[in-house]
Amino acid sequence: MSLVAPVNSARPLPDAGWLARRRWSRAGLVYLTLILCSFVFMGPLLFATLSSLKTDPLEYPPRLLFEQLNPANWAAAWTLGRAGSGDGWLGGFAPGADVSFTTRYLVRQGQQPVPPEVVVPRRRPGLAQAVAPIYAADYAKLEAPRQVSATPAAMPDGSPGQLVTYRFRVTYPGQGPKAPKLPLDVTAPIGQVFAGATLAPTLIERAGRVQTYDNAAPGFVGYLLRNYVRVFDNARSITTGQSLFLQWMLNSFGYVLLKVLSTVLIASMAGYALARLAFPGRGSFFVLILFLMTLPNQVLFISNYLVLRDGIWGLSRLWGQPGGMLNSLPGLWAVTFVSLAAVFLMKQFFETLPRELEEAAKIDGASAFQTFWRVIMPNAGPALVALTITTAQGAWNEYFWALVALQTPDDRYTLPIGLNALQRGYGAASDYSLILPGAIISAIPVIILFIVFQRYFIQGVATTGGKE
Amino acid sequence: MKERTRETLTAYTFLAPLIVFVLIFFGYAFARTLYFSFTNYNLFVPPTFKGIDNYAQIITEPRFGIALVNTLVYCLVVTTLQTIGALLMAIVLNQKLSGRGFFRTAFYLPSITSSVVITLIFIWLFQPRGVVAYFINILANHGGPIFAFVIITALAQAFQVWFERRQGLPAGPFDPALLVVSLLVGLVGAWGLTAFGVVRVTDAPPQLFDWLTRQDRVGGVVSYPLLFIIIQNTFTTIPTLMLFFLAGLQGVPQSLYEAASIDGTTPAQKLRFITVPMLRPVTFYVVTTGVIGTLQLFDQVSLLQGTAPLESVISLAYYVYNNVFSPGGEARVGLASAAALILAAITLSVVMIQRRFVVNDEGYS
Repeated sequence: MSLVAPVNSARPLPDAGWLARRRWSRAGLVYLTLILCSFVFMGPLLFATLSSLKTDPLEYPPRLLFEQLNPANWAAAWTLGRAGSGDGWLGGFAPGADVSFTTRYLVRQGQQPVPPEVVVPRRRPGLAQAVAPIYAADYAKLEAPRQVSATPAAMPDGSPGQLVTYRFRVTYPGQGPKAPKLPLDVTAPIGQVFAGATLAPTLIERAGRVQTYDNAAPGFVGYLLRNYVRVFDNARSITTGQSLFLQWMLNSFGYVLLKVLSTVLIASMAGYALARLAFPGRGSFFVLILFLMTLPNQVLFISNYLVLRDGIWGLSRLWGQPGGMLNSLPGLWAVTFVSLAAVFLMKQFFETLPRELEEAAKIDGASAFQTFWRVIMPNAGPALVALTITTAQGAWNEYFWALVALQTPDDRYTLPIGLNALQRGYGAASDYSLILPGAIISAIPVIILFIVFQRYFIQGVATTGGKE
Repeated sequence: MKERTRETLTAYTFLAPLIVFVLIFFGYAFARTLYFSFTNYNLFVPPTFKGIDNYAQIITEPRFGIALVNTLVYCLVVTTLQTIGALLMAIVLNQKLSGRGFFRTAFYLPSITSSVVITLIFIWLFQPRGVVAYFINILANHGGPIFAFVIITALAQAFQVWFERRQGLPAGPFDPALLVVSLLVGLVGAWGLTAFGVVRVTDAPPQLFDWLTRQDRVGGVVSYPLLFIIIQNTFTTIPTLMLFFLAGLQGVPQSLYEAASIDGTTPAQKLRFITVPMLRPVTFYVVTTGVIGTLQLFDQVSLLQGTAPLESVISLAYYVYNNVFSPGGEARVGLASAAALILAAITLSVVMIQRRFVVNDEGYS
């Protein structure tokens, strides 16, 4: 593409080259627009994923490249993790640990280099911990930093100085429990400028004087996915001490499984009856379903909540104590047992199947049930896959009914409700280092589902009208 | 006769689980909400009949009025934005391009994740010192060069079009080949003016702008937290609605465009006189679906509790929920039921319009 405007000589009619230039330019501009749109639509998700690795996802200005993306730090984290507990992945501080750490400072010419002050602090991890945490500080033995080298170097402002390297060791002599973390606070005297260490510090405080390490023996995963480990680790049930986030994930998976089973089964049966079987009241029943589909959930949830709490017409005795269905997965399952949109979808699908299928089965003397199970269902493959996937996606993302059916205690939540709880707990303090990883984790299964079964998603939208 | 009876029996057996479910969780639920709307139930003490008091009370309650206005404004703005946005994107994407599938996936990906995930990510983006504030700050600091770029590009384009037309060539005002050149000229020009100090890149610190806690309203109508929800929801629904328009566009016969090309119509005229009229059924469907969907606004409002002031974001759907499970207050189930029925009536009337005018549901698939 030339910078010079295409000038056509005296010919008044556009020639082939003139038209071709327009085609190419047009394609180029269209691609540019599409790429910009991709940036807009994918950007938030991608940048949130990237930022979920940061120590502080709200840092300003937001960086695209940060310590956690530096392979040198990965290698250091791995080595330190192995030195701390023999585990290069998750790290920790175990008996026999021998962690050797170096830290470098720029010292102005004429100033006497002073070794930094190193402390293993007792920092309380997480919010709700039922069990007393194990502190590395109780078992660590610190060998004071000593100078290993000093080379001439320029200070940040360009004046002459020297780069001084100190090394210190943290060991775990004798026997004891394994501490999950080895926190460190390294404080340099005034005037010495921090110039790097074995591992990039978690935080730099007090105008660069204090380098804080959340874990100086983190291991590869413990370093790169620190926030992700903390999501599982920090939020714990007050009663059982179990990881809440893990429990929410399991609840969500369980709910998806139950909901998919009931929806696929009941929607296929009902859809088949509505599409193919003649019975009095078929037309009005279908109209009724269409009407009920449009009712907002807000019209239904008061009674459905009460049904879960008090039971219905004395049937609660079948379900055990009153209130037995409230705050339980079966309760959530019951109020969302089958979606009417799914019935509608399956009816539409069964109407497209050729009638010859059933007629052949009838001639062979099959009963209606046999026809349904042996002839119709095996031919409904694509529709069933589409229904399964859209139902699974909807159930995984279900928010309103989960909010109504699962209120206390917090280990009954599914992921969306749990994320809401995280937002209320940490969002107020503007701490997004747990909220973002939590959100990303709960997006991953749906994204995988989407990438694998993309075709069915787009089909599903085209037939159900995107109703969730 | 016997066979028909058997078929009826079979049908009801197949439908039995659905009928039980619908009876309990739809029929009974709807009837009870209707009943509660005439009582003063509070979830614990047995309800007593109050007649139409709840309805009389609700129209005078300021919070209900705010919820109604919020919902309608939200519905109007989001439906308009998402319909136009989805149509434009579908038109851009509806071309013979390699990599179309990739772009379709890329656009659609954010909307399959849950509203909770996207809302949380957006809350993070819109923090006072968040990514959005950062970009706004960059744009504000580069106001001069951006302005120069736009002006130079427009001038270059105008000049080139004038030049080509004088040569007798059929160049339109947005002629792509000329536009590419104009854009490059604009870039170079803006860079040059900045380098020579004619326009300046300022270095102002970011304005601390808290989208999520501000009380004041844009134009007295839309609060900033509601504007936040509007942006977030438009962002997530555009790709879904785009799929409908894409399907609709593929149904527009290519011969219409070819015939129009022979008559020498411009792309803008093709859009105006072929694409938009041919897409009318799809557009109608998209608009009504959008209206129905936006009237149900709940998730985002719920997620913003504890951050945004309740009145700034409360929607009808959340008003209902908030009256039943009100934090620290007594449940006003009667009032909530009345509000829920009003919401249902609004929704149903939109659905009725949709069903009446969309002749067949296959119009969009």
